[in-house]
Amino acid sequence: MAHEWQPDFEQLVDEHQSMVFSLAARMTGDRGLAEEVAQDVFLELDRHLRRMESPSHVCFWLRRVTTSRSADALRRRRVRCTDLWIEIEERHGASGEEKESPLGARLEQMLATLPEPQRAALILRYQEDLTPEEIAATLDAPLATVKSQLQRGLKLLRAKAQSQLKQFVRVKR
Amino acid sequence: MEQEPLNEFEQELRQALERRPAPPGLKRKIMAERGRLHTERLRSRTVIWQRLAASLALVAVVGGGVAWRVREQERKGEEARRQVMIALRITGHALNTVKTQLAGHHRGDGE
Repeated sequence: MAHEWQPDFEQLVDEHQSMVFSLAARMTGDRGLAEEVAQDVFLELDRHLRRMESPSHVCFWLRRVTTSRSADALRRRRVRCTDLWIEIEERHGASGEEKESPLGARLEQMLATLPEPQRAALILRYQEDLTPEEIAATLDAPLATVKSQLQRGLKLLRAKAQSQLKQFVRVKR
Repeated sequence: MEQEPLNEFEQELRQALERRPAPPGLKRKIMAERGRLHTERLRSRTVIWQRLAASLALVAVVGGGVAWRVREQERKGEEARRQVMIALRITGHALNTVKTQLAGHHRGDGE
């Protein structure tokens, strides 16, 4: 059966640019690099547009390719986690129009210090609201591995939060 | 006991990881780059076709030349063979004449 769905590239960019950019920015921690990654991902989508079968297929494909391209870009740049945070604070997080709780901002900062697989799993889980099964499919990893990465990532993040964000936690409570 | 703070923590994390708006110029850059790549691809495709056409023309010219040369050689060979045959025929005819004359002389000597 022929695919009846006719994708409109410009509309897809409109629809998914925020998702792709946010994923890339959180994976790389570099706004400029994230823009490059997002651009590359969309241009690759343009080349593969005929193979897209449905809107959900596009979404799945974009998440998968963005995560993978971000990891590649990050490996190429070999950005250290500490540097990531300076980048995020200066370029990404410090946008005037975005209102964030200090705790949220710090959590996001700490997320970038996690190992890459854990970071990817947590971003897909909490930014994209994917189930572990969907994350496993997106990252092309075994479900057990993803569950373990989520657990370890959360545990590590909590430990960091407990040690570094005591003042915020106290204020919140 | 352990579950409750984790849920709260997860909620905080979810809020912290809300999607951020893409930079305002991102879409414009993507569309511009896409246009540029399409034009480039079209141009390179045209160049490929032009090169292919030029190659085919060259092959046709060279092939035609070779074919013409082969045919010309065959024609010359045929012409040479024909001339040799004529020469042989003339020679044969001359020899026959000489043979007839010699036979006439022999007959005259015998009588």
